[in-house]
Amino acid sequence: MKKFISILLVAAMCMALFVGCSNSDSDYKYITDNGKMVIGITIYEPMNYYDENNNLIGFDTEFANAVCEKLDVEPKFQIIDWKAKETELKAKNIDCIWNGLTVTEERKADMDFTQTYLLNKQCVVINKKNESKYTTLESLASALISAESGSAGETAITSEEKLKDASYTGSDTQQTALLGLLAGNYDAIVIDYTMASATVGQGDYADFMIVESIELEDEMYAIGFRVGSDMTEKVNKIIDELIADGTLAKIAEKYDKTELFNEAVK
Amino acid sequence: MSLLDATLQLLDGFKLTLLLFGLTLALSLPLGLVFCFGSMSKFAPLKWFTKGFVYIIRGTPLLLQLMIVVYLPGIAFGAPITRWPIFGGSVPTAYFCGALAAFVINYSCYFSEIYRGGIINIPKGQYEAGQVLGMTKRQIFFKVILLQVIKNILAPISNETITLVKDTALARTVSVMEILFCAYEILTLKNIIWPLFYTGVFYLVFNTLLTLLFGYIEKRLSRFRS
Repeated sequence: MKKFISILLVAAMCMALFVGCSNSDSDYKYITDNGKMVIGITIYEPMNYYDENNNLIGFDTEFANAVCEKLDVEPKFQIIDWKAKETELKAKNIDCIWNGLTVTEERKADMDFTQTYLLNKQCVVINKKNESKYTTLESLASALISAESGSAGETAITSEEKLKDASYTGSDTQQTALLGLLAGNYDAIVIDYTMASATVGQGDYADFMIVESIELEDEMYAIGFRVGSDMTEKVNKIIDELIADGTLAKIAEKYDKTELFNEAVK
Repeated sequence: MSLLDATLQLLDGFKLTLLLFGLTLALSLPLGLVFCFGSMSKFAPLKWFTKGFVYIIRGTPLLLQLMIVVYLPGIAFGAPITRWPIFGGSVPTAYFCGALAAFVINYSCYFSEIYRGGIINIPKGQYEAGQVLGMTKRQIFFKVILLQVIKNILAPISNETITLVKDTALARTVSVMEILFCAYEILTLKNIIWPLFYTGVFYLVFNTLLTLLFGYIEKRLSRFRS
Protein backbone atom coordinates (compact mmCIF):
# COMPACT_ATOMS: atom_id res chain seq x y z
CA MET A 1 0.00 0.00 0.00
CA LYS A 2 2.81 2.33 1.01
CA LYS A 3 4.60 1.53 -2.21
CA PHE A 4 1.47 2.27 -4.22
CA ILE A 5 1.04 5.63 -2.53
CA SER A 6 4.65 6.59 -3.12
CA ILE A 7 4.41 5.63 -6.79
CA LEU A 8 1.27 7.68 -7.06
CA LEU A 9 3.02 10.62 -5.40
CA VAL A 10 6.00 10.39 -7.73
CA ALA A 11 3.66 10.26 -10.70
CA ALA A 12 1.79 13.29 -9.40
CA MET A 13 5.04 15.17 -8.93
CA CYS A 14 6.17 14.33 -12.45
CA MET A 15 2.88 15.60 -13.79
CA ALA A 16 3.25 18.79 -11.81
CA LEU A 17 6.72 19.23 -13.28
CA PHE A 18 5.42 18.82 -16.81
CA VAL A 19 2.56 21.17 -16.21
CA GLY A 20 5.02 23.65 -14.70
CA CYS A 21 7.27 23.46 -17.73
CA SER A 22 4.64 23.50 -20.41
CA ASN A 23 4.75 26.63 -22.50
CA SER A 24 1.48 28.45 -22.39
CA ASP A 25 0.84 29.70 -25.90
CA SER A 26 0.66 33.33 -24.88
CA ASP A 27 3.41 35.02 -22.92
CA TYR A 28 1.09 38.02 -22.58
CA LYS A 29 -1.54 35.84 -20.90
CA TYR A 30 1.11 34.24 -18.67
CA ILE A 31 2.32 37.64 -17.47
CA THR A 32 -1.08 39.28 -17.07
CA ASP A 33 -2.39 36.17 -15.25
CA ASN A 34 0.55 36.49 -12.87
CA GLY A 35 -0.34 40.14 -12.44
CA LYS A 36 3.32 41.08 -12.58
CA MET A 37 6.19 41.29 -15.01
CA VAL A 38 9.56 40.16 -13.67
CA ILE A 39 12.20 42.44 -15.20
CA GLY A 40 15.81 41.28 -15.25
CA ILE A 41 18.21 44.11 -14.39
CA THR A 42 21.64 44.82 -13.00
CA ILE A 43 22.48 47.93 -11.03
CA TYR A 44 23.71 50.07 -13.87
CA GLU A 45 23.63 53.82 -13.63
CA PRO A 46 21.77 55.62 -15.19
CA MET A 47 19.48 52.81 -16.39
CA ASN A 48 18.58 51.13 -13.10
CA TYR A 49 20.15 52.31 -9.84
CA TYR A 50 19.38 53.39 -6.29
CA ASP A 51 19.00 57.01 -5.22
CA GLU A 52 20.13 58.22 -1.78
CA ASN A 53 16.84 57.04 -0.24
CA ASN A 54 17.41 53.55 -1.58
CA ASN A 55 14.62 53.83 -4.16
CA LEU A 56 15.23 52.13 -7.47
CA ILE A 57 15.28 54.83 -10.15
CA GLY A 58 16.83 55.30 -13.59
CA PHE A 59 15.82 55.60 -17.21
CA ASP A 60 14.86 51.95 -17.62
CA THR A 61 13.19 51.82 -14.21
CA GLU A 62 10.82 54.68 -15.04
CA PHE A 63 10.32 53.45 -18.59
CA ALA A 64 9.39 49.98 -17.31
CA ASN A 65 7.04 51.46 -14.73
CA ALA A 66 5.26 53.41 -17.46
CA VAL A 67 4.91 50.34 -19.69
CA CYS A 68 3.69 48.13 -16.84
CA GLU A 69 1.09 50.71 -15.91
CA LYS A 70 -0.35 50.48 -19.45
CA LEU A 71 -0.21 46.68 -19.29
CA ASP A 72 -1.93 46.84 -15.91
CA VAL A 73 0.65 44.57 -14.30
CA GLU A 74 3.01 45.19 -11.43
CA PRO A 75 6.68 45.60 -12.37
CA LYS A 76 9.00 43.43 -10.31
CA PHE A 77 12.66 44.27 -10.76
CA GLN A 78 14.89 41.27 -10.34
CA ILE A 79 18.67 41.71 -10.10
CA ILE A 80 20.37 39.06 -12.22
CA ASP A 81 23.86 37.99 -13.15
CA TRP A 82 24.22 39.73 -16.52
CA LYS A 83 26.26 36.87 -17.91
CA ALA A 84 23.41 34.43 -17.28
CA LYS A 85 20.60 36.65 -18.62
CA GLU A 86 19.63 34.36 -21.52
CA THR A 87 19.33 31.37 -19.19
CA GLU A 88 17.28 33.34 -16.67
CA LEU A 89 14.94 34.41 -19.44
CA LYS A 90 14.52 30.87 -20.78
CA ALA A 91 13.99 29.46 -17.30
CA LYS A 92 11.19 32.04 -16.78
CA ASN A 93 12.94 33.38 -13.71
CA ILE A 94 12.48 36.68 -15.46
CA ASP A 95 10.02 37.78 -18.16
CA CYS A 96 12.27 40.24 -19.95
CA ILE A 97 15.73 41.77 -19.97
CA TRP A 98 15.52 45.52 -19.70
CA ASN A 99 18.76 47.08 -18.61
CA GLY A 100 20.55 48.90 -21.39
CA LEU A 101 20.43 45.75 -23.50
CA THR A 102 22.30 46.13 -26.77
CA VAL A 103 20.73 44.67 -29.91
CA THR A 104 23.17 42.24 -31.55
CA GLU A 105 22.76 39.60 -34.25
CA GLU A 106 24.04 36.84 -31.93
CA ARG A 107 21.51 37.69 -29.25
CA LYS A 108 18.61 37.38 -31.70
CA ALA A 109 18.90 33.59 -31.35
CA ASP A 110 18.08 33.83 -27.65
CA MET A 111 15.53 36.60 -27.47
CA ASP A 112 13.16 38.81 -29.43
CA PHE A 113 13.90 42.52 -29.33
CA THR A 114 11.36 45.31 -29.15
CA GLN A 115 11.93 48.48 -31.11
CA THR A 116 15.06 50.35 -30.09
CA TYR A 117 14.67 53.27 -27.71
CA LEU A 118 18.14 54.58 -26.99
CA LEU A 119 21.39 54.95 -28.87
CA ASN A 120 24.51 53.83 -27.13
CA LYS A 121 28.02 54.39 -28.30
CA GLN A 122 31.24 52.68 -27.46
CA CYS A 123 33.77 55.24 -26.41
CA VAL A 124 37.42 55.46 -25.50
CA VAL A 125 38.18 56.59 -21.96
CA ILE A 126 41.65 57.78 -20.95
CA ASN A 127 43.35 59.65 -18.17
CA LYS A 128 43.31 63.45 -18.65
CA LYS A 129 47.07 63.62 -18.43
CA ASN A 130 47.21 61.75 -21.75
CA GLU A 131 44.76 64.14 -23.40
CA SER A 132 47.18 65.35 -26.04
CA LYS A 133 48.72 61.92 -26.56
CA TYR A 134 45.62 59.94 -27.54
CA THR A 135 43.50 61.88 -29.99
CA THR A 136 43.07 59.46 -32.88
CA LEU A 137 42.74 55.72 -33.41
CA GLU A 138 46.27 55.69 -34.83
CA SER A 139 47.69 57.17 -31.65
CA LEU A 140 46.27 54.23 -29.68
CA ALA A 141 48.20 51.69 -31.73
CA SER A 142 51.01 51.48 -29.18
CA ALA A 143 48.78 51.80 -26.10
CA LEU A 144 47.74 49.16 -23.57
CA ILE A 145 43.96 48.83 -24.10
CA SER A 146 41.22 46.92 -22.32
CA ALA A 147 37.46 46.36 -22.49
CA GLU A 148 35.04 43.93 -20.93
CA SER A 149 35.80 40.49 -22.27
CA GLY A 150 33.17 39.49 -24.84
CA SER A 151 31.53 42.93 -24.85
CA ALA A 152 30.69 45.17 -27.77
CA GLY A 153 33.68 47.26 -26.70
CA GLU A 154 35.98 44.31 -27.24
CA THR A 155 34.55 43.76 -30.70
CA ALA A 156 35.04 47.44 -31.47
CA ILE A 157 38.74 47.12 -30.63
CA THR A 158 39.52 43.75 -32.18
CA SER A 159 37.65 44.51 -35.42
CA GLU A 160 39.41 47.84 -35.85
CA GLU A 161 42.13 47.47 -38.44
CA LYS A 162 44.10 50.43 -37.04
CA LEU A 163 44.30 48.82 -33.61
CA LYS A 164 45.46 45.39 -34.69
CA ASP A 165 48.97 46.00 -33.28
CA ALA A 166 47.75 47.46 -30.00
CA SER A 167 48.15 45.46 -26.80
CA TYR A 168 44.62 44.35 -25.89
CA THR A 169 43.70 42.53 -22.65
CA GLY A 170 40.16 41.48 -21.72
CA SER A 171 38.73 42.55 -18.35
CA ASP A 172 36.24 40.66 -16.24
CA THR A 173 33.73 43.56 -16.23
CA GLN A 174 33.59 47.22 -17.33
CA GLN A 175 34.23 48.15 -13.72
CA THR A 176 37.44 46.07 -13.72
CA ALA A 177 38.55 47.89 -16.86
CA LEU A 178 37.95 51.24 -15.12
CA LEU A 179 40.00 50.09 -12.12
CA GLY A 180 42.80 49.03 -14.46
CA LEU A 181 42.77 52.48 -16.02
CA LEU A 182 42.82 54.10 -12.57
CA ALA A 183 45.85 52.03 -11.61
CA GLY A 184 47.53 52.97 -14.88
CA ASN A 185 47.64 49.30 -15.82
CA TYR A 186 46.01 50.42 -19.08
CA ASP A 187 46.38 53.58 -21.14
CA ALA A 188 42.89 53.46 -22.58
CA ILE A 189 39.71 51.44 -22.17
CA VAL A 190 36.61 51.06 -24.31
CA ILE A 191 33.29 51.05 -22.47
CA ASP A 192 29.79 51.98 -23.53
CA TYR A 193 28.83 55.62 -23.62
CA THR A 194 26.11 55.27 -20.98
CA MET A 195 28.54 53.74 -18.50
CA ALA A 196 31.23 56.25 -19.42
CA SER A 197 29.06 59.32 -18.95
CA ALA A 198 27.91 58.03 -15.55
CA THR A 199 31.43 57.35 -14.27
CA VAL A 200 33.89 59.67 -15.98
CA GLY A 201 34.58 62.70 -13.81
CA GLN A 202 32.93 61.13 -10.76
CA GLY A 203 34.65 60.25 -7.48
CA ASP A 204 37.98 58.55 -7.96
CA TYR A 205 37.44 58.68 -11.72
CA ALA A 206 37.59 62.49 -11.66
CA ASP A 207 40.71 62.54 -13.83
CA PHE A 208 39.20 60.45 -16.60
CA MET A 209 37.92 61.79 -19.89
CA ILE A 210 36.07 60.51 -22.91
CA VAL A 211 37.98 60.93 -26.15
CA GLU A 212 35.25 62.54 -28.23
CA SER A 213 37.42 62.69 -31.34
CA ILE A 214 37.57 58.88 -31.65
CA GLU A 215 34.47 57.30 -33.15
CA LEU A 216 33.72 53.62 -32.64
CA GLU A 217 30.78 51.54 -33.79
CA ASP A 218 27.33 52.55 -32.44
CA GLU A 219 24.80 50.29 -30.82
CA MET A 220 21.11 50.45 -29.91
CA TYR A 221 19.23 49.53 -26.74
CA ALA A 222 16.00 47.51 -26.77
CA ILE A 223 14.02 45.25 -24.45
CA GLY A 224 14.51 41.50 -24.80
CA PHE A 225 11.59 39.09 -24.48
CA ARG A 226 11.49 35.31 -24.92
CA VAL A 227 11.79 34.08 -28.50
CA GLY A 228 8.36 34.04 -30.14
CA SER A 229 6.73 35.93 -27.28
CA ASP A 230 3.63 37.97 -28.11
CA MET A 231 4.81 40.52 -25.54
CA THR A 232 7.20 42.03 -28.06
CA GLU A 233 4.29 43.18 -30.23
CA LYS A 234 2.24 44.46 -27.27
CA VAL A 235 5.11 46.39 -25.74
CA ASN A 236 6.08 47.85 -29.12
CA LYS A 237 2.59 49.34 -29.35
CA ILE A 238 2.87 50.78 -25.85
CA ILE A 239 6.28 52.27 -26.64
CA ASP A 240 4.70 53.97 -29.68
CA GLU A 241 2.07 55.45 -27.37
CA LEU A 242 4.66 56.60 -24.85
CA ILE A 243 6.67 58.24 -27.61
CA ALA A 244 3.54 59.91 -29.02
CA ASP A 245 2.38 61.34 -25.68
CA GLY A 246 5.86 62.56 -24.76
CA THR A 247 6.25 60.41 -21.65
CA LEU A 248 9.43 58.80 -22.90
CA ALA A 249 10.93 62.12 -24.01
CA LYS A 250 10.37 63.44 -20.49
CA ILE A 251 12.18 60.47 -18.95
CA ALA A 252 15.03 60.90 -21.44
CA GLU A 253 15.35 64.55 -20.52
CA LYS A 254 15.41 63.74 -16.82
CA TYR A 255 18.37 61.40 -17.31
CA ASP A 256 20.14 63.66 -19.78
CA LYS A 257 19.59 61.30 -22.71
CA THR A 258 17.47 63.46 -25.01
CA GLU A 259 19.97 63.43 -27.85
CA LEU A 260 20.61 59.66 -27.67
CA PHE A 261 16.87 59.03 -27.41
CA ASN A 262 16.06 61.18 -30.43
CA GLU A 263 18.74 59.41 -32.46
CA ALA A 264 17.23 56.01 -31.62
CA VAL A 265 13.57 56.73 -32.33
CA LYS A 266 13.84 59.18 -35.25
CA MET B 1 29.29 24.12 -29.77
CA SER B 2 30.63 20.58 -29.66
CA LEU B 3 32.04 18.92 -26.57
CA LEU B 4 35.44 18.72 -28.24
CA ASP B 5 35.49 22.45 -29.06
CA ALA B 6 34.54 23.38 -25.52
CA THR B 7 37.06 20.96 -24.01
CA LEU B 8 39.87 22.36 -26.14
CA GLN B 9 38.99 25.95 -25.30
CA LEU B 10 38.65 25.23 -21.60
CA LEU B 11 41.88 23.20 -21.58
CA ASP B 12 43.64 26.33 -22.77
CA GLY B 13 42.46 28.10 -19.64
CA PHE B 14 43.05 25.07 -17.45
CA LYS B 15 46.73 25.14 -18.38
CA LEU B 16 46.95 28.54 -16.73
CA THR B 17 44.95 27.26 -13.74
CA LEU B 18 47.47 24.43 -13.32
CA LEU B 19 50.44 26.75 -13.76
CA LEU B 20 49.09 29.10 -11.11
CA PHE B 21 48.38 26.15 -8.82
CA GLY B 22 51.78 24.48 -9.33
CA LEU B 23 53.84 27.65 -8.88
CA THR B 24 51.85 28.74 -5.84
CA LEU B 25 52.35 25.36 -4.19
CA ALA B 26 56.04 25.14 -5.08
CA LEU B 27 56.75 28.63 -3.70
CA SER B 28 54.44 28.76 -0.69
CA LEU B 29 55.44 25.42 0.86
CA PRO B 30 59.03 26.60 1.56
CA LEU B 31 57.99 30.21 2.23
CA GLY B 32 55.49 28.92 4.78
CA LEU B 33 58.37 27.26 6.62
CA VAL B 34 60.20 30.61 6.73
CA PHE B 35 57.09 32.31 8.18
CA CYS B 36 56.72 29.43 10.62
CA PHE B 37 60.26 29.83 11.94
CA GLY B 38 59.66 33.59 12.11
CA SER B 39 56.54 33.24 14.22
CA MET B 40 58.29 30.72 16.53
CA SER B 41 61.46 32.79 16.78
CA LYS B 42 62.86 33.67 20.20
CA PHE B 43 63.70 37.13 18.83
CA ALA B 44 60.57 39.01 19.90
CA PRO B 45 60.38 41.74 17.17
CA LEU B 46 60.69 39.13 14.40
CA LYS B 47 58.16 36.91 16.12
CA TRP B 48 55.56 39.65 16.51
CA PHE B 49 56.16 41.08 13.07
CA THR B 50 55.60 37.67 11.48
CA LYS B 51 52.61 36.92 13.67
CA GLY B 52 51.08 40.30 12.81
CA PHE B 53 51.63 39.72 9.10
CA VAL B 54 50.07 36.25 9.23
CA TYR B 55 47.17 37.71 11.21
CA ILE B 56 46.47 40.35 8.55
CA ILE B 57 46.74 37.97 5.62
CA ARG B 58 44.61 35.27 7.22
CA GLY B 59 42.07 37.83 8.37
CA THR B 60 41.34 39.38 4.96
CA PRO B 61 39.82 37.86 1.81
CA LEU B 62 42.16 36.56 -0.87
CA LEU B 63 39.96 38.32 -3.42
CA LEU B 64 40.82 41.66 -1.82
CA GLN B 65 44.51 40.80 -1.64
CA LEU B 66 44.48 40.05 -5.37
CA MET B 67 43.04 43.48 -6.11
CA ILE B 68 45.55 45.17 -3.81
CA VAL B 69 48.51 43.54 -5.55
CA VAL B 70 47.21 44.33 -9.03
CA TYR B 71 45.86 47.87 -8.53
CA LEU B 72 47.54 49.43 -5.51
CA PRO B 73 51.04 49.86 -7.05
CA GLY B 74 49.49 52.03 -9.77
CA ILE B 75 46.93 53.87 -7.64
CA ALA B 76 49.05 54.60 -4.57
CA PHE B 77 52.61 54.69 -5.90
CA GLY B 78 52.19 55.61 -9.56
CA ALA B 79 53.93 52.42 -10.63
CA PRO B 80 51.35 50.27 -12.47
CA ILE B 81 52.41 46.63 -12.54
CA THR B 82 51.86 46.40 -16.30
CA ARG B 83 54.75 48.87 -16.65
CA TRP B 84 57.24 47.00 -14.51
CA PRO B 85 60.25 46.27 -16.73
CA ILE B 86 60.54 42.66 -15.51
CA PHE B 87 57.29 41.77 -17.25
CA GLY B 88 58.58 42.98 -20.63
CA GLY B 89 55.47 45.02 -21.41
CA SER B 90 53.21 41.96 -21.40
CA VAL B 91 49.95 42.71 -19.60
CA PRO B 92 48.92 39.05 -19.14
CA THR B 93 52.34 38.23 -17.63
CA ALA B 94 52.09 41.18 -15.25
CA TYR B 95 48.62 40.14 -14.09
CA PHE B 96 49.61 36.50 -13.76
CA CYS B 97 52.67 37.34 -11.65
CA GLY B 98 50.63 39.76 -9.52
CA ALA B 99 48.03 37.08 -8.88
CA LEU B 100 50.78 34.54 -8.18
CA ALA B 101 52.35 36.84 -5.59
CA ALA B 102 49.02 37.25 -3.79
CA PHE B 103 48.40 33.49 -3.82
CA VAL B 104 51.90 32.64 -2.58
CA ILE B 105 51.75 35.10 0.32
CA ASN B 106 48.25 34.01 1.29
CA TYR B 107 48.97 30.29 1.20
CA SER B 108 52.38 30.67 2.92
CA CYS B 109 50.58 32.13 5.91
CA TYR B 110 48.18 29.21 6.12
CA PHE B 111 50.98 26.69 5.64
CA SER B 112 53.09 28.39 8.33
CA GLU B 113 50.34 27.85 10.87
CA ILE B 114 49.96 24.22 9.82
CA TYR B 115 53.72 23.71 10.23
CA ARG B 116 53.64 25.43 13.60
CA GLY B 117 50.86 23.14 14.79
CA GLY B 118 52.81 20.12 13.57
CA ILE B 119 55.98 21.19 15.34
CA ILE B 120 54.48 22.06 18.72
CA ASN B 121 52.65 18.76 18.75
CA ILE B 122 55.90 16.76 18.85
CA PRO B 123 56.39 15.52 22.43
CA LYS B 124 59.27 17.06 24.36
CA GLY B 125 60.66 13.55 24.91
CA GLN B 126 61.68 13.38 21.25
CA TYR B 127 63.98 16.40 21.68
CA GLU B 128 65.30 15.06 24.97
CA ALA B 129 66.04 11.69 23.44
CA GLY B 130 68.05 13.44 20.74
CA GLN B 131 69.98 15.43 23.31
CA VAL B 132 70.77 12.28 25.28
CA LEU B 133 72.21 10.78 22.12
CA GLY B 134 74.47 13.83 21.83
CA MET B 135 72.86 15.22 18.65
CA THR B 136 73.07 18.90 17.81
CA LYS B 137 69.89 21.02 17.62
CA ARG B 138 70.07 20.97 13.83
CA GLN B 139 70.50 17.19 13.75
CA ILE B 140 67.57 16.70 16.10
CA PHE B 141 65.32 18.84 13.90
CA PHE B 142 66.22 17.26 10.59
CA LYS B 143 66.75 13.65 11.69
CA VAL B 144 64.21 13.19 14.48
CA ILE B 145 61.53 15.84 14.31
CA LEU B 146 61.01 16.70 10.64
CA LEU B 147 59.64 13.39 9.36
CA GLN B 148 57.23 13.16 12.27
CA VAL B 149 56.08 16.70 11.55
CA ILE B 150 55.56 15.90 7.87
CA LYS B 151 53.48 12.89 8.78
CA ASN B 152 51.40 14.91 11.21
CA ILE B 153 50.70 17.77 8.86
CA LEU B 154 50.01 15.77 5.72
CA ALA B 155 46.24 15.75 6.16
CA PRO B 156 45.85 19.54 6.69
CA ILE B 157 48.33 20.23 3.87
CA SER B 158 46.36 18.06 1.46
CA ASN B 159 43.24 19.92 2.54
CA GLU B 160 44.79 23.31 1.77
CA THR B 161 46.17 22.01 -1.54
CA ILE B 162 42.75 20.96 -2.71
CA THR B 163 41.33 24.31 -1.61
CA LEU B 164 44.09 26.02 -3.60
CA VAL B 165 43.04 24.25 -6.80
CA LYS B 166 39.59 25.79 -6.47
CA ASP B 167 40.80 29.17 -5.21
CA THR B 168 42.70 29.73 -8.46
CA ALA B 169 39.25 30.57 -9.89
CA LEU B 170 39.50 33.92 -8.07
CA ALA B 171 42.31 34.98 -10.42
CA ARG B 172 39.63 35.56 -13.07
CA THR B 173 38.75 38.83 -11.35
CA VAL B 174 42.20 40.25 -12.11
CA SER B 175 42.14 39.25 -15.77
CA VAL B 176 44.08 35.98 -15.46
CA MET B 177 42.56 33.92 -18.25
CA GLU B 178 42.15 30.70 -16.29
CA ILE B 179 39.45 28.14 -16.97
CA LEU B 180 36.50 30.08 -15.50
CA PHE B 181 37.50 33.20 -17.44
CA CYS B 182 37.37 31.10 -20.62
CA ALA B 183 34.00 29.64 -19.68
CA TYR B 184 32.59 33.12 -19.04
CA GLU B 185 33.99 34.27 -22.36
CA ILE B 186 32.09 31.48 -24.14
CA LEU B 187 28.99 32.52 -22.20
CA THR B 188 29.26 36.18 -23.22
CA LEU B 189 30.26 35.54 -26.82
CA LYS B 190 28.06 32.55 -27.68
CA ASN B 191 25.41 32.65 -24.94
CA ILE B 192 26.06 29.02 -24.06
CA ILE B 193 26.09 28.20 -20.38
CA TRP B 194 26.98 24.50 -20.12
CA PRO B 195 30.76 24.97 -20.53
CA LEU B 196 30.64 26.96 -17.29
CA PHE B 197 29.19 24.00 -15.42
CA TYR B 198 31.47 21.65 -17.34
CA THR B 199 34.56 23.32 -15.81
CA GLY B 200 33.62 21.48 -12.60
CA VAL B 201 34.71 18.24 -14.28
CA PHE B 202 38.22 19.61 -14.82
CA TYR B 203 38.58 20.60 -11.17
CA LEU B 204 37.12 17.31 -10.01
CA VAL B 205 39.41 15.17 -12.16
CA PHE B 206 42.47 17.07 -11.03
CA ASN B 207 41.47 16.93 -7.38
CA THR B 208 40.90 13.18 -7.72
CA LEU B 209 44.50 12.82 -8.87
CA LEU B 210 45.68 14.93 -5.93
CA THR B 211 43.63 12.89 -3.47
CA LEU B 212 45.14 9.67 -4.83
CA LEU B 213 48.62 11.18 -4.60
CA PHE B 214 48.16 12.26 -1.00
CA GLY B 215 46.69 8.85 -0.13
CA TYR B 216 49.81 7.24 -1.57
CA ILE B 217 52.17 9.54 0.35
CA GLU B 218 50.24 8.91 3.55
CA LYS B 219 50.64 5.18 3.06
CA ARG B 220 54.37 5.54 2.47
CA LEU B 221 54.79 7.68 5.58
CA SER B 222 52.80 5.32 7.78
CA ARG B 223 55.95 3.24 8.22
CA PHE B 224 57.25 6.00 10.50
CA ARG B 225 54.67 5.24 13.13
CA SER B 226 55.67 6.95 16.31
